[in-house]
Amino acid sequence: MSFVEFFGVTKAFGRTVAVEELNLDVRQGEFFSLLGPSGCGKSTTLRMLAGFIAPSTGAIHVHGRDITHLPPEGRDIGIVFQNYAIFPHMNVFDNIAFGLVERGEDRAIIKRKVDAALEQVGLSGYGERYERELSGGQKQRVALARLLVIEPEILLLDEPLSALDKKMREEMKFWIKNIQKSVGITTIYVTHDQSEALTMSDRIAVMNQGQVLQVGTPVEIYEHPNSRFIAEFIGESNLLSGRMGRDHVAIGDTAVPVSGAEGPTDAEVALLVRPEQIRLEPVFADEAPMLKGRVADEVYQGSLRRYLVETMGQRLTVEVPNRPDLAQLPPGADVSLYWRPESGVVLR
Amino acid sequence: MERRISLPMLILAIAGFAYMLFPIFVVVLAGLTAGEFLTFPPEGLSLRWIAAFLQSEKYLSAFFFSFRLALMTMVVATVLGTAAALFLSRTRMVGRNAMRAFFLSPVVLPGVVIGYSLFAFFIATNMGISRTIWGLWIGHILYSTPYVIGTVGAALAAYDVSLEEAARSLGASPWRAFRKVTLPNIGQGIQAGSIFAFIVSFGQFEVSLFLSAPNSEPLPIAMYNSLRYKFDPSAAAAGIFAITLVTASVLLTNRLVNIRRLLERQQD
Ligand SMILES: Nc1ncnc2c1ncn2[C@@H]1O[C@H](COP(=O)(O)OP(=O)(O)OP(=O)(O)O)[C@@H](O)[C@H]1O
Ligand SMILES: [Mg+2]
Repeated sequence: MSFVEFFGVTKAFGRTVAVEELNLDVRQGEFFSLLGPSGCGKSTTLRMLAGFIAPSTGAIHVHGRDITHLPPEGRDIGIVFQNYAIFPHMNVFDNIAFGLVERGEDRAIIKRKVDAALEQVGLSGYGERYERELSGGQKQRVALARLLVIEPEILLLDEPLSALDKKMREEMKFWIKNIQKSVGITTIYVTHDQSEALTMSDRIAVMNQGQVLQVGTPVEIYEHPNSRFIAEFIGESNLLSGRMGRDHVAIGDTAVPVSGAEGPTDAEVALLVRPEQIRLEPVFADEAPMLKGRVADEVYQGSLRRYLVETMGQRLTVEVPNRPDLAQLPPGADVSLYWRPESGVVLR
Repeated sequence: MERRISLPMLILAIAGFAYMLFPIFVVVLAGLTAGEFLTFPPEGLSLRWIAAFLQSEKYLSAFFFSFRLALMTMVVATVLGTAAALFLSRTRMVGRNAMRAFFLSPVVLPGVVIGYSLFAFFIATNMGISRTIWGLWIGHILYSTPYVIGTVGAALAAYDVSLEEAARSLGASPWRAFRKVTLPNIGQGIQAGSIFAFIVSFGQFEVSLFLSAPNSEPLPIAMYNSLRYKFDPSAAAAGIFAITLVTASVLLTNRLVNIRRLLERQQD
């Protein structure tokens, strides 16, 4: 059932329209990501939900209740900022206790809850430290603990991993996801990193230029993007331009079969094929290949080889796992390419 | 970070400091002279002019009048200046830069102009506060507040507003979030600003010249008036006390506030 709802929310800053006619529907307990390039309005959306800025038009409901005009302190929504916003003049204990103190809890309860929260985020014994004595990952844990103690209904995270190094990022990704799962809190996560969104989310809303383009599970978004923008923004992609036939896409003189394509024929379309969906084989003399191509370039990437293949007058990227039983093809080699019809996605 | 300073630079810096500090040195020595007149180098050293200052009804009352005026000015300038700096840092209003320039303009306008304008204004509007402590107070507030706006503005520029937002979403009302999170983080800027306001008011001359009443003069005016009629080293002795007070308040601030850190933050 819907828990957080945006109804036609628009936010303009002067002449910049940061968010336009946004409709969203987040379910209770789910991990929902807002994914999009820089400046597409993700933070603005989150800040409207947190109550720091008011929408120009539209309404936001939580639990069916209109919260559009409530101040932040009346919303029961916790937010983790990109820079964590740990209060520098308070130690870790007082940071985490802040929300409880504001709620007028008594000292014994505060002490117990803060200690439990420190334990939960693996920072027992760090209560006396100050912000400047913490690493990025520890700050993040403190920021999260500070929210979890007040048990908000909704957790908002604005690019919480972008300030960490790569290794820490991987670690925190799973850590955040685990905490979210164990607490069961409805979470809205903002990121411009598609791999974060794909690994962590139950559902993703892809945004561009203030609008939501598609909402779906990671599998739906990756395998059935509804636009060229999403196909290119998420993952590696090959987009072949061609003309729609009845059960195929005509690319140059070649008819490439596709499955389940709808819509009018004879229209200009793009056929999306992911690099890992394509099989490359050497050409043998006695065999007519499905698609003929020629290797233009090869990039060794450790766990896989990435080939640039010219075919049908266009260039395709193909990823081949680095295994001895799979063909290694030098640049200039003739190859045949295969993929299943259902691996191709027609984009209009 | 340890920065090495090259020798020519060091010499230049020492020369610069010497140039700035020499007049103070002169005043201090002149105030300690044993002779009858304000001369440099002094004719022997003694504390007789210090004693004269301490026995002079006129100087002592001027000193304490200035002290009281500077305190009163500091209180109002700190409140007004902090409020103005907060407003300027938060508003998205068009013309906020013009407004900031306007608020800071007393720093660049000649004090004579401010003093004369206020004097003319008080007279013209017949408010009954020209040449009273209240009119003088208003003049000093006008002159000192920009220093508070400047230092608090620098502290706010370094302050991350998301701290206050975090406090709000953790359940704090706007006022609680300000008091418990914003204020402690810009407190050093406010303290530095208020000490500046105190010092500026204590040393103010031009505005006071137009606005002070004949029977209650701030110290700089009293010194000026006394030197006009006789070249008496007690003025220099008064100067010693003023310098001591200002130095003490700077040292005090330096203990409370790391001015260096504040200035460094302003740069990045
Ligand atoms: N307070 C503001 N005043 C004016 N314009 C703003 C303000 N906040 C955001 N914008 C503009 O609104 C647009 C969306 O900004 P937003 O911060 O929501 O983007 P974002 O998707 O979070 O980007 P990023 O990934 O870079 O954080 C941008 O064009 C930005 O310049
Ligand atoms: Mg953002």
